[in-house]
Amino acid sequence: MISSDIIRGHLDAVILKLIIEKDRYGYEISKEISKRTDNTFEIKEATLYAVFQRLDKNEFIISYSGQITHGRKRKYYKVTELGQSYFKEKVNEWKETKKVINTLLEESV
Amino acid sequence: MEGNKESNKHIIGGIGMMKINDYVEGLFKDIPSSSEKEDIMQEIILNLDEKVQDLIEQGKGEEDAINKSIVDFGDATEIKNSLMQSSNVELNTKKKINYSNRMWFSIWGSAMIIGLFLFINLYYNDRDIWFVYPTFAILWWPLASIFALLNNRKK
Repeated sequence: MISSDIIRGHLDAVILKLIIEKDRYGYEISKEISKRTDNTFEIKEATLYAVFQRLDKNEFIISYSGQITHGRKRKYYKVTELGQSYFKEKVNEWKETKKVINTLLEESV
Repeated sequence: MEGNKESNKHIIGGIGMMKINDYVEGLFKDIPSSSEKEDIMQEIILNLDEKVQDLIEQGKGEEDAINKSIVDFGDATEIKNSLMQSSNVELNTKKKINYSNRMWFSIWGSAMIIGLFLFINLYYNDRDIWFVYPTFAILWWPLASIFALLNNRKK
């Protein structure tokens, strides 16, 4: 079981990546995350929606109404230019972090 | 056979959706109504419902599917806090408009009343200039609202 705290810090980038690939709606993202990690990481819906709210407030993503299911319209998300640059920033941050931790945790030769 | 499956799915969706509906409404019952709140609730209900349908298709019983979806939902505190913040912002901006309107209303209203007294004073050709007395009294009204507005602006 993966520590959720560690993943939490990078959820923004993870979710943005999925939305950059194509416009998606909430549950679709949750399914995709489980699928790609082979069910090792299953994101709690509440966490997911909190991230949507924050990304939306900061104008990194915008929402629009899509297909009709059960007589109501699904809310789809789409990435903005600002979101794209924020995503790149976050990915670089992770690469740096990964490098540092790997270096420090490496068996000393 | 196919036809039966389809109609069953629809019925299950109906009852299941009510339970999901109740759960989500319960989660957000302490949050003041707003369009943002309604929006998020609709989104959550729709998504949870689809999850329930998927679990049922995978072979879970309806009750199990609903319970698992609710448990998997997690802690909604962050969503609720964020909604509370935005509803507070809505309330505060509304207050400012009230103060300004109130002030102008009081200025116009008192001007009209003072004007009326002045007119009566002049019309009856009284020796005394008595309209000053009610004028002083009425001026309390716009004065109070001006200070209320200034107080609010300072905040």
